[in-house]
Amino acid sequence: MSPEERPDGAADRSAGEGSQRAVSAPVVVEVSDAGIKLTGRDGAMADLVLDVFFDDRRIWSFWPVRDTTREGNARLVAWPRAIVKFLSGDTRLRLTVHGSEKTWFDQEVHLTVGEGAADSRIAVVDTDGHPLALDKSMRRVRTFETRTAEQVAPLMDAIAEALAALKTAGVEGFLAYGTLLGAVRQGALIGHDSDADLGYVSEHEHPVDVMRESFELQRRLTDMGYPTMRYSGAAFKVDVREADGSVRGLDVFGGFMREGYLYLMGEIRTPFKREWVFPLGQATLEGREFPVPADTDRFLVATYGPHWRTPDPAFKFETPNSTHRRLNGWFRGIRVHRGTWDGSYAAHPRPASLEPSDFVQWIATREPELGDFVDVGCGYGVDARWMAERGVASIGLDHAPKAFEYLAAREEDLPLEFAAMNLLELRSLLSVSASVARRPGNPRVVAGRHLLDALDARGRQNFYRGADMMLREGGRLYLEFLAQRGEDDYTVGKHIRPLAPAKVRAELEAAGATVSKQRRLLASPNDTTRSQSVICRMVATWR
Amino acid sequence: MAMTSKTSANLSARLKQSARALRDTRAGARLDLERRVRDLEAEVQECRQLNLRLAELTDLVTELLVPATQRDEAKLAELLERYQKGL
Repeated sequence: MSPEERPDGAADRSAGEGSQRAVSAPVVVEVSDAGIKLTGRDGAMADLVLDVFFDDRRIWSFWPVRDTTREGNARLVAWPRAIVKFLSGDTRLRLTVHGSEKTWFDQEVHLTVGEGAADSRIAVVDTDGHPLALDKSMRRVRTFETRTAEQVAPLMDAIAEALAALKTAGVEGFLAYGTLLGAVRQGALIGHDSDADLGYVSEHEHPVDVMRESFELQRRLTDMGYPTMRYSGAAFKVDVREADGSVRGLDVFGGFMREGYLYLMGEIRTPFKREWVFPLGQATLEGREFPVPADTDRFLVATYGPHWRTPDPAFKFETPNSTHRRLNGWFRGIRVHRGTWDGSYAAHPRPASLEPSDFVQWIATREPELGDFVDVGCGYGVDARWMAERGVASIGLDHAPKAFEYLAAREEDLPLEFAAMNLLELRSLLSVSASVARRPGNPRVVAGRHLLDALDARGRQNFYRGADMMLREGGRLYLEFLAQRGEDDYTVGKHIRPLAPAKVRAELEAAGATVSKQRRLLASPNDTTRSQSVICRMVATWR
Repeated sequence: MAMTSKTSANLSARLKQSARALRDTRAGARLDLERRVRDLEAEVQECRQLNLRLAELTDLVTELLVPATQRDEAKLAELLERYQKGL
């Protein structure tokens, strides 16, 4: 499953019992640039959850046995990768057992492993200075513990509005996962949580109907003006803007009953009765009433286990493989590797240069009369922009809209467009391909540079289908992909794997295309010191 | 020395016979069962994956086929755009 589909929240495990047995809680023996070294009896530590504070603000939580590695007689919890870059300077480091007042370590420490100035206070904040913490998936997030009631009010409004939209669309939504837990346990959002989760149990029993209903619900929310993003066939996210301008995600998880089992994306499959869900009850969250499942205890046991009443910010779902297999098989597969690409573009939101690739220049020399240029997997969109600068109507397509956000926002006076297209989502592939096929401009070139070598077999098949549609009125497909990896650094950061040209050719021919040109060439011919990566260029047509 | 086609056929037949004999042992049957279960699981997963494709195609056809058959060009263009926005 995609990590972003994992519901947020914390659960009830045996941390409470752990804090009762805290006599043998760990002793911090060393704090260094590597992390925090602890000693203590594993058995006594196994049930503890420790909160880590920098200057009195919780940054993350961990389990001293599960989340550490053994080093001699001690255990080391390494600094989480997501915060390492902040760790330069001084901070008051404090460790407490979660949910208790007991402090196990409280000292000023100095760290030098991060990127900032070593003579300042360590600040784990975003670019606007908002405080960040780590969620249970070790992602940097803005948790609720640093938010005021006024700041969470828009999220409460959005929850109410989304629940109303779900009702209009024919399903009765309710608070789910961490949001339900917060409401039932304390009437408030959980401090270490960062998203709000909604769920619903469909009237449908068949996965196909459940997905179609989820598609319709997403359309309704989009029509209401909310930006949305689909995680899987039965779950999506709604973005809500808060008072200070920050965007907060609201996850909508589809569920259904089937043969005596409740299924709820993305973690639940459990024997359940419909009357434990309906008629929905009510619970208070941040002073407002919201619908919740009829039997919240049974629902929370199904979600977090029998100890859900004890807080655990480091909770990890232990979903059985059989449940994952079912949910993956039925609903997932439209976001493979998406996290990698989103992460890449979030880290580097602008192209390093606006210089066109050799590939697009090669296309321009071969197609002097080009009327329409379609760059599939365009990334930043530099090549599409270059074609547009030459007066050729161009469109850049990519599954990650973050990729072309920068160039799209420049609003230059160029015949240039960008659009999102996910080759793993048939609805996106087919509808965008149909839109492209309707564009004026002839002849058309569809280009894919380092596209095939970033896709799996299913993605490639879908791409050929889309190219066939886009080129229905004629035109050519131009491809460039890695044929052989060398010892040079050509492939660094490209997330590609070599593909045999013969295999690509066979796939294209099976998809009804004719390959008119195939050529291998060195990827970086000026580097003569190391063995070279080899790329392949191919031209194909459909008739 | 090159193997004649007759020797090769004999060898192949003997190998098949040995494999059959091995499958008939208790350990062999278990190994064979494990392989069959693995294959079956893969096939079940393949079938499950058809659900998403079917849902996507049905949604697409349901949302876009009517305006397409009505030959309402402007409405179709608008619907295509709206459809993609709602993905």
